[in-house]
Amino acid sequence: MSQFLIQTSWWVPGYGLIGALLTLPWSAGLVHRTGPRPAAYFNLLMTALALIHSGALLQAVWNQPPQRLLIPWLKILDLDLSFTLEISVISVGAAIVITALSFLAQFFALGYLEKDWALGRFYALMGFFEAAMSGIVLSDSLFLSYALLEMLTLSTYLLVGFWYAQPLVVTAARDAFLTKRVGDLLLLMGVLVVFTLAGSLNFSDLETWAQTANLAPLTATLLGLALIAGPTGKCAQFPLNLWLDEAMEGPNPASILRNSVVVACGAFVLIKLQPILAISPIALTALMILGTMTAIGASLVAIAQIDIKRALSHTTSAYLGLVFLAVGMQQTDLALLFLFTHAIGKALLFMSIGSVILTTNTQDLTEMGGLAGRMPATTSSFVVGTFASIGLLPLGSLWSMLEWGDSFWSSPWLVGVLLLVNGLTAFNLTRVFGLAFWGEPQIKTRRTPEVPWTMAVPMVSLVIIALLVPVMLLQWHLLPALENINLLLVLLLISSGIVGCGLGGFIYLNSGWAKPVNLVGKPIRDTLAYDFWIEKAYRLSVVLGVVQGSRLTAWLDRYVVDGMVNLVGVVSLFTGESLKYTISGQSRNYLLTVFVGVILTFIALVWSFHFPYSIAQSLFGH
Amino acid sequence: MLSTLIWAPVLGATVIAFLPQFSNSERARQAALAIAIFTLGWTVFLITQFDISNAGLQLQETLPWVEPLGLTYRLGVDGLSLPLVVMNSFLVVIAIYSSDPKINRPRLYYALFLLLGSAVAGAFLAQNLLLFFLFYELELIPLYLLIAIWGGARRGYAATKFLIYTATSGILILAAFFGLTLLTGVSTFDYAALQSQALPLGTQIILLVTLLVGFGIKIPLVPLHTWLPDAHVEASTPTSVLLAGMLLKLGTYGLLRFGLGLFPEAWRVLAPWLAAIAVVNVLYGSFVAIAQTDMKKIVAYSSVGHMGFVILASAAATPLSILAAVGQMVSHGLISALLFLLVGVVYSKTGTRDVTVLRGLLNPERGLPLIGSLMIAGVMASGGIPGMVGFVAEFVVYRSSFSVFPVQTLLCVLGTGLTAVYFLNLVNRAFFGRLPENLANLPRVYWRDRLPSVVMTVLIIFLGLQPSWLYRWSEGTSAALGRLTPSPAISHMAPLPLIETVAVNPPEIELVSTPAFENFQHSALSLE
Repeated sequence: MSQFLIQTSWWVPGYGLIGALLTLPWSAGLVHRTGPRPAAYFNLLMTALALIHSGALLQAVWNQPPQRLLIPWLKILDLDLSFTLEISVISVGAAIVITALSFLAQFFALGYLEKDWALGRFYALMGFFEAAMSGIVLSDSLFLSYALLEMLTLSTYLLVGFWYAQPLVVTAARDAFLTKRVGDLLLLMGVLVVFTLAGSLNFSDLETWAQTANLAPLTATLLGLALIAGPTGKCAQFPLNLWLDEAMEGPNPASILRNSVVVACGAFVLIKLQPILAISPIALTALMILGTMTAIGASLVAIAQIDIKRALSHTTSAYLGLVFLAVGMQQTDLALLFLFTHAIGKALLFMSIGSVILTTNTQDLTEMGGLAGRMPATTSSFVVGTFASIGLLPLGSLWSMLEWGDSFWSSPWLVGVLLLVNGLTAFNLTRVFGLAFWGEPQIKTRRTPEVPWTMAVPMVSLVIIALLVPVMLLQWHLLPALENINLLLVLLLISSGIVGCGLGGFIYLNSGWAKPVNLVGKPIRDTLAYDFWIEKAYRLSVVLGVVQGSRLTAWLDRYVVDGMVNLVGVVSLFTGESLKYTISGQSRNYLLTVFVGVILTFIALVWSFHFPYSIAQSLFGH
Repeated sequence: MLSTLIWAPVLGATVIAFLPQFSNSERARQAALAIAIFTLGWTVFLITQFDISNAGLQLQETLPWVEPLGLTYRLGVDGLSLPLVVMNSFLVVIAIYSSDPKINRPRLYYALFLLLGSAVAGAFLAQNLLLFFLFYELELIPLYLLIAIWGGARRGYAATKFLIYTATSGILILAAFFGLTLLTGVSTFDYAALQSQALPLGTQIILLVTLLVGFGIKIPLVPLHTWLPDAHVEASTPTSVLLAGMLLKLGTYGLLRFGLGLFPEAWRVLAPWLAAIAVVNVLYGSFVAIAQTDMKKIVAYSSVGHMGFVILASAAATPLSILAAVGQMVSHGLISALLFLLVGVVYSKTGTRDVTVLRGLLNPERGLPLIGSLMIAGVMASGGIPGMVGFVAEFVVYRSSFSVFPVQTLLCVLGTGLTAVYFLNLVNRAFFGRLPENLANLPRVYWRDRLPSVVMTVLIIFLGLQPSWLYRWSEGTSAALGRLTPSPAISHMAPLPLIETVAVNPPEIELVSTPAFENFQHSALSLE
């Protein structure tokens, strides 16, 4: 039985794909009579099957060594592109997290997108999305992972561009695709180099190869940087962080997944690549610099946002920065734990604000307020999500942050980064809470009933899951033993959380402060609100370069390359036209022309025999 | 057997052209379609007769023709030409199916189309240099007329430009062929007889450069490419499909068959230059495409870019890279044909191809939602998104060329990124956004408009998921061709000079097998 489960483990991503295919009759508009709901049900069913299958698979591989599954794909001449899947507790566990969150998000979408005419298309994309993600976590082949990351890029593009009639959505989708594509292309270059050097693309082979590889430092560094670029794009790290913020124009159920597990998939690939990165110290340093910059920068940027989704999405970048740091310090297990607790907390927060957005029809925090009394389930899930995401109460993130800080205890500045991110995130989440849920109701938040059950059920289920995370960690022996707990670190973490929350509460839960609060001067606030002007920087550098370069090339093409061709044409036409006037009908003129022509030909002939000869003479001496 | 591919369409064209019954355009279309489908069926039959383990020429036919000239009617097919022949028969069916049902002068139109298909097939099958040249020139006449009669507003200019360019190409090729026979003193133009010539390297290089320029016009290589955008913009949709899908491949096929096949040593010398030209093609084509606003021009310039990948792989000239070149030819043929088909539908329904005018065509009720979705699939395939044939083809190109030309390959990878830029712009501008009022009353799109594109998309996805169907035909031939240049440019560009050790012993891992996949692969491979 367990052998059968392992042999069929490649079905897990397959379910999502089948679900996506099953929606085709509805999304292509072939079936009108039933409405798009059946498509949604098919997808939910398929995701449930994937969840059950991966659950059973986890049972089968529990306490087993990792098994590898070979899938032959393309074997031509000396090129062998076969995939291997790794069926281990970690990969299957990650698949469970993905399918479970995907199931909840799809359930949530039943309510969130109830009135949307393109429900079928949405579910097709979600199925595709889920398939690509669960494929990535099961994959043990860099080639397959790369291919699936590209598929994620495509499905992100389509999901962000779901409401393609809106102008902001169009640019958001384009930016998401192109930013991720930049990362993907650099990753592709890395893949090509690794493939040529190591001769295999299986992570396990690469790991063995990396231990003995003797690369020139420059090669190793460039290779490492190229491999980092892909995950940097996927995890929305500086300088490829622009897209996640803009992607918040897309429908919220997709944002739930994007902020929790999609970014985690990028980090997952990074973790798998870690042995290769370890060849080059510079690459690891670059990874840590990127992580630190993003962690602190994005935490600050988040505080300056007034769009409720963007305020949260920047904290995703910040947390992933901490994961980058962990990978840079070669603590991959820690990175996985951190990804898990972050995914649960962030998914819950996004479900909660999804409810807020649907009910209030706005994403603008300045138009909200006073939801706490009217939407109890939504409010409580926001609160639980907040505590699950920051290190304050003993929910998921406190424990993962504790492990994180414990591993880096020897380098105080890293612990400082952690405390700073924790404090700033606590402040930011309290700020969002204060603005959206606390205070007096505004025009858009006056009539705000609690969301329908299709959204409340997944939200409350996730609340329960988030509350149970410490129990799960205990079950999996991931909690530190009581006597090993670093009490000072716990104290620091909790106090940073308290400071953040307290300060946030003091400012934003206090009706005495007039909103919007002006904490820092306008220049700093604008710099943060516009994400350190990174969009402008891109527009003035890369975008301008490509646009002007393409204009110049097009001009050259039209007026120089094609101009020469047309010039030859015009000259020959013109000579023909002018020569026709020599046709006078007078024979003496013809004779003269013939005579001159003969002489010219003769001269040309003599010269043409002499000229190459003299050239040859000057070239060869004789 | 192979002659059928050439003569069945010719016979059909004669019948359609001269029987008065076919002046009814619908009847002419059906007849032409029937003949094209018969040819396609015959091609499929030939596939079953083809032995993939044999690297040499198969199903050969020889008839004496003009012996004093060295011209014999010698046909044959091998792994290099088979995929292209199959794609030719297929695209002719698609092109005829997607022709305007109420076209003017249907008898001439369909006769020319069948002649075009037959001439292209002949060029791929010919194993005599002079015969190849005849077919290569013969294909010009129908294509010239197709552009000049059924083209757009500036059709005269475009058709004449095309004719002059391509005729020059033919003359250069003929000159190289004559030079080869004269200098070797062989009295025949048979490919096999000329393959074992032993000319001095300098002479070989001169002949090869002549061939390169000749075929380079057809591919087209930058800066010999300016006929292509004009021809595409003025040509009708089915003509564009064949032009991009098949005619450009004649150039790269010719390069591989006659350039590499006849002058392997000179090829090795010129390969770095060729790889540099490939990079220029890719980047230049992509950059120019970004600045275009006419959808057809965007696709046309993307062809310039994507043919660069074929040239890159051909330049590398290892067994794998030749195979990659064949794969990329098929992949580009299918994808660009799909894109031209879709642009054609958009043009016929909206009356414009200008991306600054078009907007919001994905609109589900009044726009072209299915065409838009297929367009997204097509541009993603062209941009190398996995799951479609473009990804596999490009990956194999990169993988095989990287060991020979690392820098050039990485630069070409950049071209893939630029592809995403211009195609995303196209989709974002024309299909996303709100449908403006002036486009709100588009004519209905019928299934006959969609069917060709749907079929192409399915094929593109199928080959993307099961790429062994794309590559298996050509493995033997590519290996044989790749071995002609003894360890090509590698010798002077050792795989990355920066590396000190490479060897790795893959660790012993116990692998669990997947019977389902193996059975599928097995059945695929034992189809013969």
